[in-house]
Amino acid sequence: MSNLLVLLILLPAAAALVCYFVRSTAVRKLTVLATGGILTLSALGLLAQGVFAPIEVGSFLGIGSDFLVTVLDFVLLGVIYFYGYKHKSLLIQGFTLAQVVLLAWFEGVSVGHEAVPALMGDQLSLIMVLVISIIGSLICIFALPYMKEHEEHLHLKKTRQPRFFFFMLIFLGAMNGLVLSNNILWMYFFFEVTTFCSFMLIGHDATEIATKNAVRALWMNALGGLAFVVGMMLVYSQAGTLNISAILALGSTSAVMLTGLAFLCLAGFTKAAQVPFQSWLLGAMVAPTPVSALLHSSTMVKAGVFVVLRFAPAFAGTFLSTGVAVCGAFTFLACAALGIGQSNGKKILAYSTVANLGLIICCAGINTPLALTAAIMLILFHAISKSLLFLCVGTIEQAIGSRDIEDMRGLYGTNPRTALITIIGILTMMLPPFGVLLGKWMAMEASADSNIFIVVMLAMGSAMMVVYLARWAGSMMGTREPGAKAESQPLLTRLPLITLCLGAVLLSLASPWIYNSMLAPWIGSAPFVVGFGSLESAHGTFVVVPLFLVLGLGLLYAVKAASGYRRVKIMPPYVSGANSASGDGTYVGPMNGDVPFSAGNLYLGEMFAEPKLTPIFNALAVALIVLMLGGAL
Amino acid sequence: METLILVIIGLVGAPLAGGLIAGLDRRVTAWFQSRQGPPIMQAFYDVAKLFGKEKMVVNQWQILCAWVYLIAAAVSVALFFAQGDLLLVFFVQAIGAVFLVMGALSAKSPYSQVGAQRELLQILAYEPILILVFVGFYMVTGSFSIHAIWAQDMPLLAKMPLLYLALGYALTIKLRKSPFDFSTSHHGHQELVKGVLTEYSGPYLGLIEMAHWYETVLVLGLCALFWHTNVGWMALLLVATYMLEILVDNTMARMTWRWMLKRVWLLGMGMSVVNLIWLYAG
Repeated sequence: MSNLLVLLILLPAAAALVCYFVRSTAVRKLTVLATGGILTLSALGLLAQGVFAPIEVGSFLGIGSDFLVTVLDFVLLGVIYFYGYKHKSLLIQGFTLAQVVLLAWFEGVSVGHEAVPALMGDQLSLIMVLVISIIGSLICIFALPYMKEHEEHLHLKKTRQPRFFFFMLIFLGAMNGLVLSNNILWMYFFFEVTTFCSFMLIGHDATEIATKNAVRALWMNALGGLAFVVGMMLVYSQAGTLNISAILALGSTSAVMLTGLAFLCLAGFTKAAQVPFQSWLLGAMVAPTPVSALLHSSTMVKAGVFVVLRFAPAFAGTFLSTGVAVCGAFTFLACAALGIGQSNGKKILAYSTVANLGLIICCAGINTPLALTAAIMLILFHAISKSLLFLCVGTIEQAIGSRDIEDMRGLYGTNPRTALITIIGILTMMLPPFGVLLGKWMAMEASADSNIFIVVMLAMGSAMMVVYLARWAGSMMGTREPGAKAESQPLLTRLPLITLCLGAVLLSLASPWIYNSMLAPWIGSAPFVVGFGSLESAHGTFVVVPLFLVLGLGLLYAVKAASGYRRVKIMPPYVSGANSASGDGTYVGPMNGDVPFSAGNLYLGEMFAEPKLTPIFNALAVALIVLMLGGAL
Repeated sequence: METLILVIIGLVGAPLAGGLIAGLDRRVTAWFQSRQGPPIMQAFYDVAKLFGKEKMVVNQWQILCAWVYLIAAAVSVALFFAQGDLLLVFFVQAIGAVFLVMGALSAKSPYSQVGAQRELLQILAYEPILILVFVGFYMVTGSFSIHAIWAQDMPLLAKMPLLYLALGYALTIKLRKSPFDFSTSHHGHQELVKGVLTEYSGPYLGLIEMAHWYETVLVLGLCALFWHTNVGWMALLLVATYMLEILVDNTMARMTWRWMLKRVWLLGMGMSVVNLIWLYAG
């Protein structure tokens, strides 16, 4: 057990050092592949051993591990302060200094240094470890060929990949540490490590815009770190312990305790890029695509929702809980609306990530067994589908030189393999019987119990997401000329894409069993009964396996019918009889000249313009957060 | 066993009923306009003729999308007759709607592209309303499953009148009737030719026509749930609702998508929310 924990948390750090100091491509490739493999096996091994009660972590080279974490905390804050100074950001410097002062006072004066078991593993942690270790590893593997090509585009004299993979791998270790923490100080340390890693990775390309966006990400997350410290101190002042499982067992006893929990939720909000903090995650897309994939699926933002979800049982049934739910639902609606106005593929994905995180946080706030089940289902399946989509956009970008969805029109004609996988990925984000939709279904059924505002926001947001995902998937379909060149992909690009694509589909099929074995024990009073491959609850029934069978057979039949298209007459599209001889949608226009086909999506700029809506949404979100914090008092 | 029989009735009966309704619709419309109108079975003759035509497509995606549209529509009706979960029925129905749009987007045709965009706007308008109507059912019955509705001893219309009116908006859009018929106008003179359906022809257009019959029955089935206690009143409610739809269709000019979004979101959602507040308070 403890060996597995060491592997999960420290192996990535060790591998990161190898990548950084041994500047050989072959060694780096081998290290990343081996680390990915070992992490995957360790995560599965931990799953096989099952949940474990909080355990002590002894000393390391004769130094107590708690002390070591404290020292590293201050070192890290020092480094962050240095970067704040270097980039002349008063916000970063201020937030970091405040953290240093508060933390020094907290650790020096208030905390009685009793021994707290540092690590624990409940079902929530185990699922998170799986998400981090397996999906994170696949993304790192995908990054191997990607970064090679990325640097060729940039014409770098000296490769920056050692630094890149250093932070990618550290990130995975820190995330594993975060989700396994039982000592809240440890959780804080890992929380800050992820902040720092994301800062370094967003600014990786060192262009002016990359630095600017990295700095913005850092100050927002430093604010989150400050909120974490404040929350931690308030909670400690009431609970008198750093032990998270003990805090959860205590529940919400006083206003100070609730305020502390509210600050911890605020820390989660900044990390999960909830409105009004969404701008750092959108800015983060200047980073190389594997970074975006990592930030959006298995690390960083998932750390944010994890913190809220971790402490959710402690504030169940309070006004704070409703406040969290309303904030989450508002983010879901706001970012779904903002997504409609976007044509940049990565930006669409970013808004859809933030929206889905909002939905997860909303579920944590609704705080019923059904809602918490929904939250974990969404975390799991969103991570798979979203990482797949980001990797697809990266692959497409390197193939066609653009990430704009208008430029991806008819992509199937030139890159059938990538286009097909992307289309499947998009469908797994929004349609039944796939996992993300299953989670959304649970969320909606759970929201009907809570509050009318939440229901309305979820209903509208859900419709908006369909619009921008459907039009993207549809426009990638297109005609493939007979005898067109086959698409070639490096093995290490294809492997993660196909694994994630299969994972999104097959794990959705397995969702009743995932629920039964992993979620039901965590929830306690299980909301669903599994029968005939269906999830049945008092609210309603999702017939997972039957639907898979019927729709799957239907799809097979449809694919078979479509594959016989060579026997069907292929016609040029209808253009009122003015087809030009050159075909392909071209028609004869004025002065008998050929007018080539062109089309554009309706982005509804007058209603969903980003510059117009963002300030309004930010203002509303600030009001809601103030309401949430104030209501906790 | 009983469920299986119901599902089979749904799968076989729904297209027959949908086709008949389409035929009746044309007769009544003709009567409104002092014309004779085609035979009531005309919709079936039309589809039979379509299936006899040569298969022509712009690309293979359209074949796939037409089939998936039909299959999803049939499965959602089957789930409805199996008295399944209302939200799930709705999400399965959405598969069809999404694939219809994607098929249209796959063709390099200005008409079908514009039609697809407009169809997406229609989805944007009716989806929230449908979800809120289902939440209304949940508030009254305590479950999203259709089973729970039959256990009520009072027609739901009494508790959800405004939600029924809001559903009327969704119904008009789903039936592709004026003033909301701007993605697949069935009047040949309008500027979009046939919008989202432009590039579907022959047997594939036939499949889509059948899928539309399934959807018609599904939406009318939702309306029927509002008066489940008495078959007579249920029939009367349905006939009155459909007659109103035809009347609206024939007296209203088609509107723009802006008008639709504002109207449906403000009035439709407004009525739904007011009604839901009663139910939450009650």
